[in-house]
Amino acid sequence: MGRLRDSIRLHDGLIYDRHAYGKAPGRDPELLIRSTEPPSPLELAGMESISMVDLEVFRHKMNSIVEEARDVYMSLSISEGIITGDMNATVFTPEGDPAVVATGIFFHSLLNYGPIKYVLEYYRDDPTVGLRDGDVYFFNDPTCGGVHTFDMFVFAPIFFEGELIGWAEVGGHQGECGSISPGGFSPTATTRWEEGLHVHALRIADNWELRRDILDFFLNSVRNPFVFASDLKARVATVQRIRDRVIREAERRGKEQVAGGLRKILSVTADLARQRLLQLNDGIYRNVMFNDGVGNDSGLVRVPTTVIKEGDSLTVLVQGVSPENNRGPQHSTWHLMKASMGVYLFTYFFRGLPANMGLFDPIEVLVEGPSIANCSADVAHGEGTTISAMLVQNVHVMGSKMLFGSEHRLGVSAPFARNVTLYIQAGTNSYGYRTANFSGAANAAGQGARFDLDGEHAAGFYWASFTDAGEVEESDMRLPTVTLARMIDKDFHGFGKFRGGTPLMEVSMAPQGGCQMTSRGGSDRVSHNSGLFGGYAGPPNPRFVIRGTNALEMLADSDPRLKFSQYALAKEQAIEGEYIFATSSAATEDFQAGDIFVYSISAGGGYGDVLEREPEAVLEDVRAEVLSAETARDVYHVVVDPHTDQVDQQATTAARAAERDERRERGKPFGEFIQGWLSQRPREDMLTYYGNWPEPRLESYDKPYWGQYE
Amino acid sequence: MPRIRITEYLDIELDDRHWYCNRCGHDIGPADRPYKEGCLVADRNPQDVHPVLAPHKEYNFSFDPAWVRLIEFYCPGCSTLIENEYLPPGHPLTWDIELDLDDLARRYAAGAVAETGGSA
Repeated sequence: MGRLRDSIRLHDGLIYDRHAYGKAPGRDPELLIRSTEPPSPLELAGMESISMVDLEVFRHKMNSIVEEARDVYMSLSISEGIITGDMNATVFTPEGDPAVVATGIFFHSLLNYGPIKYVLEYYRDDPTVGLRDGDVYFFNDPTCGGVHTFDMFVFAPIFFEGELIGWAEVGGHQGECGSISPGGFSPTATTRWEEGLHVHALRIADNWELRRDILDFFLNSVRNPFVFASDLKARVATVQRIRDRVIREAERRGKEQVAGGLRKILSVTADLARQRLLQLNDGIYRNVMFNDGVGNDSGLVRVPTTVIKEGDSLTVLVQGVSPENNRGPQHSTWHLMKASMGVYLFTYFFRGLPANMGLFDPIEVLVEGPSIANCSADVAHGEGTTISAMLVQNVHVMGSKMLFGSEHRLGVSAPFARNVTLYIQAGTNSYGYRTANFSGAANAAGQGARFDLDGEHAAGFYWASFTDAGEVEESDMRLPTVTLARMIDKDFHGFGKFRGGTPLMEVSMAPQGGCQMTSRGGSDRVSHNSGLFGGYAGPPNPRFVIRGTNALEMLADSDPRLKFSQYALAKEQAIEGEYIFATSSAATEDFQAGDIFVYSISAGGGYGDVLEREPEAVLEDVRAEVLSAETARDVYHVVVDPHTDQVDQQATTAARAAERDERRERGKPFGEFIQGWLSQRPREDMLTYYGNWPEPRLESYDKPYWGQYE
Repeated sequence: MPRIRITEYLDIELDDRHWYCNRCGHDIGPADRPYKEGCLVADRNPQDVHPVLAPHKEYNFSFDPAWVRLIEFYCPGCSTLIENEYLPPGHPLTWDIELDLDDLARRYAAGAVAETGGSA
């Protein structure tokens, strides 16, 4: 530990470096907090024999294997999430550490070591279980290493010449898991017992044959047995493909080089991460984020984060977080908090370095528990990603502040869009089978603005770097809804010198009765999509449905008043019906023919002062209908000549100078500002789940800056 | 006068260890304190910036000003919007960058700091 790290005071009596729950049958949280395992004799022999050049060739080969597995898995699957890339594929070291990771979802791969290490620790030598070539295991339990129960995984050992040389793993968002709400997301759940199946590490196949009794158990436990069975078989086929490919490599190189090569990838990556950290300024960085819901109710909760960067190490400290509330599923686990950061660290902070667990070797993760960020076992935590994503957004902001003053400025950006809102549609689809999942529009959120560029529109899924929204026609067959429009919409992004990306906006409709929808979220009044360096945040994203509409009649008549965009529907309300703007944390409801759902996954934040945006770029956004003329005028202070439809440069310069004068008028010196500011307080009903105000763990706190304890 | 670029809008001068605006060169105060203490600070209704799309009071694709305020930090010299925060009313501000200035000076002396600042 260094001087800065030692200056951080932890609260007494709380857990920081482990889980807020203990060991139980099938669960050993101590396995989840282990860092990369020390090399075994087999691995050591291979690490010594493989040169750095050959290691790079080997790593490329392993990458090709998991990328192929991604394609195989997506091609064989039929559930919406998997098809569009909400999945992962990984090769683990023999000791159970993720060494080679495919996108989809980085953080899935960073979690799933828990059940593998459990099998190694408790089942391998147990005479009633054992470990053999051809075994396939299933798991989905969030307390054992998973995310939420509807993210499901299988893994299989890879044996060669009788020795364990690695593990193959694949998984993703299955959708349905037998929880109280169809589709898995259960905003009203308060305990884990309402969240469906919890399987820790269960052998589902012997010698690559799925066991019929276990398959029947699964299919009898979920609402979509056809989808479940099909996707489970796709998983088994995919891990078998990974295993076959790795075996072929072992036939060429020998078992030592495969096992040792996988282990050496981790140690080399850890060294590269340390070298990267040495290039950044030492200091303490802070960011704080708020949510406005807990799942079952409205209320403020807080997730603050401090990062101590010192030499070649990082400490990520989540302290002063709101307590467990027992009112909803928005509770995370220690391992989810850690793994989630891979989403930012791999794609921005450590950009260019291999994506694997080795990048976490120099990072200490401390998460205060029990809390909403590091919760007890029985609390519902199906939406723990809400909380862990708030940590990731905090780290993204702080990481950008660390990178700016270095040669790695290319990684500087506002965070990727991650407001929570998601619609899960359930019912019978056009093929005639029951389904419950979300649409591929979730895979097209807006990117945060970059230090030298606007954020991309409809860039991807927050958790998965490479995703696709999929084809509308196919989606309409698989889901019980019909898509009316997908578009990039107006005034729905973060403004700034560089603007954030707008999400893909989707308007869909229930074509008949029997369609259900669950919406889950938070960030209805607040946003998790920060701007950077004065850039404004991406906007909040509540639920928007229109019920009892005449849309079917208007469609039949080709009514010209029909405009299927969020902006037009909300502003003009040309369709008859009941317009419902509500919290996205809502229980499942039945919908009727003609009911309309307006949906997007949210927008990226902006970068820099709006007054520094090139006026022509503002005009271009107005012409592209990404920005309204009113916002161009009121926020960017750009004046467009109505006669020429060009920027009036002189008037714009004057308008911007006037705005700078306005800022001097409304801005107060710090001392004057802070006195009035600290005397304010949110309404009591907003603080029900917050903890003590303003520091949840302290009964009194009067500092102008959070994190100041002296 | 080694001036080190720290953010889009802020430099640190190593001789006097102060923050300076990168755009106009205004002295924003000691770098061992938050730069926010040297800024002009405004408490704004976030709906001044984020358009309200729907008539609903609470849920309208903008921020609810009862829950969230937009705090803006301006350079006293040129009024550049250096940073902002979205906070519940009365929540303490964020000391977001607390650099180890001794380490920064050492790194500069060793040639390890990537870029010097100065007005853009």
